[in-house]
Amino acid sequence: MATYNAFTQEWLDAWKQKIAESQEYKEIAKDWEGSVALICNADPSKNVPKPVYLFTDYWHGDVRDFLVCDEAKTQTGKFIMTGDYARWKQVAKKELGATKALMQGKLKLKGDLTYVVRNVKTVNKVIDLLTEVNTVWPDDV
Amino acid sequence: MAYDNSLSFVYFGPTKIIFGSGSSTAELESEMSALGCSRAVVVTDPGIIKAGLSEKIIKTLGDKCVGVFSDVPQDTGIDVVNRGAAFAREKGADIVISIGGGSVIDTAKCMCILLTEGGDLANFEGIQLLTRPQTPHIVIPTTAGTGSEVTWIAVVFDRGKGQKILIVESYITPRVAILDPQLTLTLPPLLTASTGMDAMTHAIEAMTSMHREPISAGMALHAIRLVSTYLPPCIQDGNNINARGQMQLAATMAGWAFCNSMVGLVHAMAHSIGAVSHIPHGVSCGIMLPYCMDYNIDDGEPEVIKIYATVAQALGVSTRNDEPKRAAKAAVKEIFDLLKRIGHPLKLSEFGVKEADILKAADLSMADGAIVNNIRYVLGKDEVLGIYRRAL
Repeated sequence: MATYNAFTQEWLDAWKQKIAESQEYKEIAKDWEGSVALICNADPSKNVPKPVYLFTDYWHGDVRDFLVCDEAKTQTGKFIMTGDYARWKQVAKKELGATKALMQGKLKLKGDLTYVVRNVKTVNKVIDLLTEVNTVWPDDV
Repeated sequence: MAYDNSLSFVYFGPTKIIFGSGSSTAELESEMSALGCSRAVVVTDPGIIKAGLSEKIIKTLGDKCVGVFSDVPQDTGIDVVNRGAAFAREKGADIVISIGGGSVIDTAKCMCILLTEGGDLANFEGIQLLTRPQTPHIVIPTTAGTGSEVTWIAVVFDRGKGQKILIVESYITPRVAILDPQLTLTLPPLLTASTGMDAMTHAIEAMTSMHREPISAGMALHAIRLVSTYLPPCIQDGNNINARGQMQLAATMAGWAFCNSMVGLVHAMAHSIGAVSHIPHGVSCGIMLPYCMDYNIDDGEPEVIKIYATVAQALGVSTRNDEPKRAAKAAVKEIFDLLKRIGHPLKLSEFGVKEADILKAADLSMADGAIVNNIRYVLGKDEVLGIYRRAL
């Protein structure tokens, strides 16, 4: 099975494909509209020398742009989620629930929180599908 | 109660609690000084002023009260917070003191953000965006139920968008809560009952959340004991200051419990039927609580049954040696009995709720974030509808 280096365009493409192929996702996410920008803070001790900026876009069960981008692009996201590398890795590996991470301040979210709360199943499903992507993390290398 | 070997959690509850009859006047000034503050803006609402609950407190502050902002409606809004913050800034306030219920406390929490960060509250919509301590806030609650005095959540109406926004920030947790039971003596019986059942629901749902943890469970279990023991005497005699005080403690402990462990199906269904039929939050929680407990128990999951058996012990209707399923069912029956004892509404139809309303509410419930925290996985809308029909 193919493996992908985290935070690369290939990794994002693989994640996007998993989401696009999921009938369950299509059903759960039928009401979701809009983009989510993800910012991973730099952590040189974990081989993440610079901040990572990602842009993911979702529309009524479909997936649109999934891009490695620059900081300016992330500011156009409907939602902007920010966190340290270690937290993102925990969330992506489902060692830490996204809702719990947000409530505990381990991740930060800018945007309409009530919308996220109403659509929390969509958020959880997107993360579930990420765990299906064989990922090599920067500090695993 | 057993927890997985892999148990890991964060418990957060930094608010200092001052409890005692008369504490709102006796302790306020020294708590303010301890925070290094000398210029307070008091936030309250017209009902509190009319009831005379804030007068003595404001008088006690003397020159240290630089202004009173009382323009807080039942459901606060971004515009209210912006006005309140502008008022406090103009007065040179270095601390906010809130005297009131949930809406007043949430207004004050958000004013503290603007006093420190500046700008418009709409720019702070989100979760955990703040990176530094905010203007100090002392809460003096006048109800016993929401637990808002120790939580880091504020709900504010955005009139521009026509919807409520949620602000979740560790840094808006009040520094001090002064629980003075004298301030709750005038609460009318139905409001006492419904706010009390709000606290009971926070406690039981914190026990049965997917995110439950032992410190919250400890808080929740004692809150359950206190509500079941002291809510009925508060209804029988509103002037029973001992019972009123115990209910304040229960609400605060339940607030810590649910804010750390989160709430589940009861809140999902209560939010939804509240939105459709405009039933007050505490009342809809009280009505839905036993039906949702019964639904969770009926799954037959041994761990769930054990938790409800523990709840039954806290409610005083079971002992450790009782058969767990029987004890769990006894907990449900006791909640029904408690509702009757305190004169709390028992059915949604008492508020004119019809089949068409529960159909809409069932859809909303499935999309409510709290439903995913419930200890029993809710398979679909039909299950929610079934619970609503039983409560109709």
